[in-house]
Amino acid sequence: MSSEAAVPATARSTSWQWPALGVLAVLVLGAATRALDKNVPEWFSGSDLAKAIEFPIYAIALGLLGNVVLTVTGLRDRLAGGFRTEFFIKTGLVLLGASINLKVIVTAAGPAIVQGIVLISTVFLFTWWLGGRFGLDDRLRALLSAAVSICGVSAAIAAAGAVQAKREQLAYSASMVIVFALPSIFILPALASALGLSPEVAGAWIGGNIDTTAAVTAAGTIVGENALAVATIVKVTQNALIGIVVVALTAWFAFRIERRPGAERPGLGELWRRFPKFVLGFVASSVIATWYLTTVGADEGKAVIGVANDLRTWFLILAFVSIGLEFRVASLKEAGWRPIAVFATATVANVLLALGLATVLFSGFTVT
Amino acid sequence: MSNENPPTVAEHTRAALNEDWAATIVGLVLLALVLIGVIPTGLVP
Repeated sequence: MSSEAAVPATARSTSWQWPALGVLAVLVLGAATRALDKNVPEWFSGSDLAKAIEFPIYAIALGLLGNVVLTVTGLRDRLAGGFRTEFFIKTGLVLLGASINLKVIVTAAGPAIVQGIVLISTVFLFTWWLGGRFGLDDRLRALLSAAVSICGVSAAIAAAGAVQAKREQLAYSASMVIVFALPSIFILPALASALGLSPEVAGAWIGGNIDTTAAVTAAGTIVGENALAVATIVKVTQNALIGIVVVALTAWFAFRIERRPGAERPGLGELWRRFPKFVLGFVASSVIATWYLTTVGADEGKAVIGVANDLRTWFLILAFVSIGLEFRVASLKEAGWRPIAVFATATVANVLLALGLATVLFSGFTVT
Repeated sequence: MSNENPPTVAEHTRAALNEDWAATIVGLVLLALVLIGVIPTGLVP
C-alpha cells in the first residue's frame, strides 16, 4: 500500500475515535451529574439549598468544568464531535412526549401557535431592521434574525443554507446563541419567581424567548414539571415553524435581496425537508403513552412511564453537559461588537414581548 | 470544532437533518422497549 493511500486510511480510523471519546467524556460527566443529583440532598439533608438545586445546574457546571480541563489539555477541539447537544436534547424531548398527555398538547397548541407566529415575525423583522441600522451584511442579518426569533442554532443552520451564508457567519451566530442562552437558563426562572408567574405562564415565557431548545428545557426543569411541559410545547411549536421561515427566506433572498437569475421557487418538498422531524417523534410519543395508559392500571402505568422519565432525564443531562462543554467566548471576539449589540438588543425585545404574550395567552391555562 | 478542516454550511445542514431522524428513532425505540418491558423498572440508574 502506498503512503498516499495510507494517509486517508489513518484519517478514517481516527475520524470516529475522537468523537467517540467525546461521547465518553459526556457520559462520564453525565454519570457524575446523576450521582450528585441523587446524593447531594442526602449528604446535606438539613440544607434547603441542596434540595433546591436541580440537575441542569450540576450538569452545566460539570460541563463548564470539563470544558476548562479539556481546553487546558488541548483536547477540547478534538473531542468536540462527541458533544451532540442537538441529538441528546431531541431524543430527550421525544421521551418527554411520553409524560405529556395528548390533551395538554392539543389544548396548548392553539395559544402556542399564536405566540410563535407573533413572536417570530415581530422579533425577526425587528432584528432585521436593527441589523440594517448597524450596517451588518444582509446574510448575517438573516442568520441573527432567524437565530434570535426561532430556535437558536438549528434556525441559524437552516437560515444559513437558505441565504447561502458564509461559514464564519454561521459560527458567529451559533456562538452568540450559546453564550446568550447559558445565563438565561438561570436568570429567567429567577425572574419568573420574582414576578410571581404561574408555572404555565413561566413555561410559555421561557419557551418563547430562550433561543436554544436545550436551554429552554434546562430552564423549564428548574421551574418545575408543569412549566417544562408548557415550555417544551411552545418551543417545539416554534421549531415546527422553522420550515415556513426558511422557505420564505430562501424565496426572499433569491428574488428580492440578491435577485439571482434563474433562481427556482422553493416548493412543498423544501418545507418538508426543513421540518424538524423530532417534533413528529414528540407527538407520537405522547399519543403512544396516552393510549398505553388507558390499557393498564394507574399504578403500573405510572411506574412504566417513570422508566421513560428516567431515560429522558439521562438524555437531558447529556445535553446540558454538552452545553457546558461547547460554551466558547473566544469566537465572539472575532464577530466584533456590532452583531453582539444587535443580538443583545433583539434578545431584550424578545424577552419583553414573550412575557406580554405568555401572560395574555397562558394566564388561564393549566397542565392537568 | 477543529480549525484544520471546518465543516461547510451544507455539511452542518445535512448533520442537523440526520440528527433529527436519529433522535426521533432512538427516542421512540427506547419508549417501545420500556412499554413492552424490555427495559424494566429499576434498570435505569
